[in-house]
Amino acid sequence: MWRKLMVLSMILIFLVSFIFAAPVTIRFWHAMSGSRIKLIQNLANEFMKTHPNIIVKVQYTGSYNDTLNKTIAAVKAGNPPDIVQVYDIGTQMMIDSGIIIPVQDMIAKDKTFDINTLVPQARGYYTVGGRLYSMPFNSSNPVIFYNKTLFKKAGLDPNDPPTTWSEFIADAKKLTVKDSKGNTIQYGFTSGLIGWFFEQYMAVQDAPMFNNDNGRAKRATKAVFDSPAGLRIFNFWNDMVQSGIMLNAGPGWSNPRQIFMSQKAAMLLTSTSDVEMMLKAAKDNHFELGVMFLPHPSGVPYGGVIIGGASLWMINTHNVQKEKAAWEFLKWLAGVKPQIEWSTGTGYFPINKNAIQKLLYEGYYAKYPQYLVTILQLLMSNVTPSTRGGVVGPFPKVRATIENALGKVFNHEMTTAQALKWAQDQANQAIEEYNSLYQ
Amino acid sequence: MSRKIIPYILLLPTFIIITFFIYYPAAMTFKLSAYRVSPFGNRIMFIGLKNFKFLFTSQEYAHVLYTTLIFVSVTVGVGLVISLLIALLLNEKVPGIGIFRTLVFAPYAISPAVAGTLWAFLLSPAAGYVSYLFLILFGTQPQWLTSFPLALVSIMIATIWKNLGFNIIFFLAGIQSIPKSYYEAATIDGAGAAKKLFNITIPLISPVTFYLVIMNIIFTTFSVFGTIDIMTQGGPGGTTTTLIYKLYRDGFVNYRTGFASAESIILLAIMAVFTYLYFKFAQRAVHYQ
Repeated sequence: MWRKLMVLSMILIFLVSFIFAAPVTIRFWHAMSGSRIKLIQNLANEFMKTHPNIIVKVQYTGSYNDTLNKTIAAVKAGNPPDIVQVYDIGTQMMIDSGIIIPVQDMIAKDKTFDINTLVPQARGYYTVGGRLYSMPFNSSNPVIFYNKTLFKKAGLDPNDPPTTWSEFIADAKKLTVKDSKGNTIQYGFTSGLIGWFFEQYMAVQDAPMFNNDNGRAKRATKAVFDSPAGLRIFNFWNDMVQSGIMLNAGPGWSNPRQIFMSQKAAMLLTSTSDVEMMLKAAKDNHFELGVMFLPHPSGVPYGGVIIGGASLWMINTHNVQKEKAAWEFLKWLAGVKPQIEWSTGTGYFPINKNAIQKLLYEGYYAKYPQYLVTILQLLMSNVTPSTRGGVVGPFPKVRATIENALGKVFNHEMTTAQALKWAQDQANQAIEEYNSLYQ
Repeated sequence: MSRKIIPYILLLPTFIIITFFIYYPAAMTFKLSAYRVSPFGNRIMFIGLKNFKFLFTSQEYAHVLYTTLIFVSVTVGVGLVISLLIALLLNEKVPGIGIFRTLVFAPYAISPAVAGTLWAFLLSPAAGYVSYLFLILFGTQPQWLTSFPLALVSIMIATIWKNLGFNIIFFLAGIQSIPKSYYEAATIDGAGAAKKLFNITIPLISPVTFYLVIMNIIFTTFSVFGTIDIMTQGGPGGTTTTLIYKLYRDGFVNYRTGFASAESIILLAIMAVFTYLYFKFAQRAVHYQ
């Protein structure tokens, strides 16, 4: 019986291999909107030109959240894509999903790929328990864009931006302008109410979000952000909002951008992936654009920043041909040329060291120093568990809870200390619930 | 004999569709509400009524329920009063009334998400038109979307605006079906406009009003999630999180399928009450002409 089956399956494999002499089609779902849809399609087209036996079907599937939802639905329906782009905080969920192939497994089988070409911070983020799970693709970090023209107007040196929190507050005060009726017509600073920034300020102070080395030594079981470092951030944020030097632009990224681009705020905390957009806005609205590192509280050891953005995951479709094709595509995307195209077209930094080197030699960074700042901030970060970023299953919930807690502080519903404790309790509850499924 | 089979055969396609797209998912929801499920569904754990127990003892959920109650009652109440007033105006015979009626109905044709985008743009801090208008007219800059309770008020405004068209059309139809002779008789008796409104119009359109109250409650509760997601994402500090929005967050952002199923069952129970009320009272009171 078994021998018959063996023979049959051999014949089947033989026949199937004939079918696969024809081009292999792989599906790639991503969450990059706007002009980036075209940019990714162009990259795929270039790849297909040099790899005529692979067809990449690129599909924009909405936001990170939408893309993950669609992937979950597709997995349940038994028809998942071969490659999917998943946001940073979905890392643990994807590891636990049971549907992926860690790229480390593919690297182990492929001598042509040198893992050391990956920028260490990007590689470090997606490495959990010593394994690289997904291929870094669009990596960013947070920076503060500032309006040099408004700095000059306020009597500040545009080439000496603040580096500490107290300097930052002092400058923001000077940059806040009120009319005769006491209405603020220009804010010193603006930012969205985005939990990612809290995580970044934690890393700046080299403080972890979760226990067990931020969830990197083993599965995190507790949130630990209710710490002096966490409280410092809540107070810093709240003081700026309450004193009227910072405009809280609410949830999301587009409002604060609009406010900064229309010069209603002199400084903006956002992602490095906005560099291209900001350079263009500065040109259109006739102001000079500066980029500065995230300021840090004085007297606290400096950590660094964490990469954000997303990475590309390989889904296990039990089809060796497709897996090989998917890996070829991922490997190609991490190469020098595609990374340069991607990075210069967006503001995400290249995740390939050689790409950074090439851009540097070509004088790109001399021409656009704003791009250099975004990479330097990252490369000057210390590599510690805190700056490698936290890993935890219910991270989306944790991030939203911190945003919620800050909202409660702004509403005067809770003090900063109460809100932080509340957020940590909520996070712990979510972590416990999630982990109970994996014991 | 054949006459009795044919109707069933004709109903069969509908029944099949309903079974797959409504009954089966609904049954799954009941099942899942007793489980804790991992995001990709690969791990599943029976926990009985724990999801419900957690919901009923959660302070946060009680607050969400309270927010929903305030939101729905104000939105429906104020929305219907405004709709009635506009319907009365649109009932007047003025030139170009057809154009006005079309314009007023327009908001109903757009989706809640688009309505949310529009209003979020108008109310956007510092850069929005409404914010700018307030600065010029009143010299203040209210933080529409980022402060309590203005954020909730903003969502209410957007929802009321969105529902206006639907309500006005029904009110207009109701008003126009009242025989002219009643008003003529009232005029002869010396009744003023206000008296006519309160003693003739409002009582006679009460079946329409009842229908609209129920319908408004149902779609204000269910369809508002797109508006909230775009305008405030439930913030600040959870003050614009309603039942349906929390359900969406838990199900599709926090990936807690089991927990979200339990929430949807509670929502289903609440809606069942309103639907029952509707069928019990409206069927015998409303005349569809």
